[in-house]
Amino acid sequence: MLNEERIILMTRMASYEQGEGRKNVKIGNYFRSDYITVQVLKSVISAIVAFLIMFGLYMLCNFEEFMKELYNMDLLAFAKSVLTYFCVFVGGYGVITYVICTWKYVSAKNSLKRYYHNLKKLGSMYKEQ
Amino acid sequence: MTALLEMKERLKQIYSKTEVFIVPVVKFLLAFIVLNTLNDKLGYMKQLDDMTIVLIAALACSFLPVGVLVLLAAAFSVMHMYALSLEVALVGLCMYLIMYLLFFRFSPKDSLVVVFTPLLCALKIPYVIPIAVGLLCAPSSAVSVGCGVAVYYLLQLIIDSAPNIRTMGDEEALAKIRMLVESFLANRAMLVIIASFAITVVVVYLLRRLSVNYSWTIAMIAGVMVNVVILLIGDLLYDINLSVGSVLLSSLLAIAVAKVIEFFRFCVDYSRTERVQFEDDEYYYYVKAVPKMTVPVSTRTVKRINSQRTRETAAQAPGSRQGSRNVTTERVSSAHNGSRTAARPQSRGGERRSMTIGNASNMSDQYDENENYEEWP
Repeated sequence: MLNEERIILMTRMASYEQGEGRKNVKIGNYFRSDYITVQVLKSVISAIVAFLIMFGLYMLCNFEEFMKELYNMDLLAFAKSVLTYFCVFVGGYGVITYVICTWKYVSAKNSLKRYYHNLKKLGSMYKEQ
Repeated sequence: MTALLEMKERLKQIYSKTEVFIVPVVKFLLAFIVLNTLNDKLGYMKQLDDMTIVLIAALACSFLPVGVLVLLAAAFSVMHMYALSLEVALVGLCMYLIMYLLFFRFSPKDSLVVVFTPLLCALKIPYVIPIAVGLLCAPSSAVSVGCGVAVYYLLQLIIDSAPNIRTMGDEEALAKIRMLVESFLANRAMLVIIASFAITVVVVYLLRRLSVNYSWTIAMIAGVMVNVVILLIGDLLYDINLSVGSVLLSSLLAIAVAKVIEFFRFCVDYSRTERVQFEDDEYYYYVKAVPKMTVPVSTRTVKRINSQRTRETAAQAPGSRQGSRNVTTERVSSAHNGSRTAARPQSRGGERRSMTIGNASNMSDQYDENENYEEWP
């Protein structure tokens, strides 16, 4: 005899496993600190590359002025300001990543908790039968 | 309404039966339209502006993930830019890289949004996008919408600057880069539209999640109003030459499209809203359940009973029965039969139970799709 409730539960779980669940299981395999560290590290690398591209474009745009002022300008102050922008940009991006990844990790864990609860329920249904 | 619901159910049935063919065909058509529009608008590289290449690329996109379409569209546009000028291609490539590195990391699933936004902007119906995205996606998709708008304005800037760039010589490489970057960053219209679209997406998302009745309709109308108001304020402040008539017309079109989306995605009957209260060991639950409007597409069984004598049978077996009853049973899908029951509400928790087998993203989404649960005070 087919157990309709069990079939519905199994269908939902299978659908979850094939969709969102696959990603959440990957996230759930990490410890919270490990997951967030890896993601923040990736973001910092992305931000560094993006900053270098933006700085390169800025330098290309202002190359002529920069070359004219090269011997008159305070290079140390210029480097200091560039470094400040770099730190703010990369740091800010890292903080945003930290917040988003923390939220992602918590929601993935909650979702997995519901999934495992359903798995347990399914097991008990089989035992009852 | 019942006829529309029946049509929806039929469409769903057709889609579920022929999904394997429909999805690649739709992807093919989308890729074809996108690449063809790119060739029409830019079209600087004559080798790329060839129907055979577009067809081959679209065919490849039809069975590859949607992300490949974004990649191909970016590659097509960069190659056209390269044909115009190396410096333009450099600027375009840098813009794409910055967007990829900074924004798409958090919303990699929004490839379609990034493709659709410049496409609809090019087709002069951009205001559909923030409303549709707010209704269907998460608020993080506002980033993808913003990127799509930026891509459109970048391409538009290149199209507008192409005659100037052609007249500039190779020795003015830095001047070309400077002109493009400064024009792009100083484009007030782009900034106003990015801001208005992003705010609209968030407003529509927040309102459609409210537990009030007709939240989707409220969300789409409020979203359109917010969008129009921000655009008008932007026009007043920065003089971006916005045509008020076209904004209003496009906004009306956006509402029409949003109503179609609502019909297919969130068709509920608020008149049969139920409020229930129960408890378990740990919680008290105050649940508001809004049933979906559904029409069971019934199957009608036609039984044909033909009494006729079969001479051959009678000749072969004289002792047997002289006549034979020929009974034919066939199943016919009936829309009209189901329409009467369609208007009547389905009882919750009754005998009829439906099961959805599909691409539900997660368990909570599955619950949301079946019934809209929410707390009430």
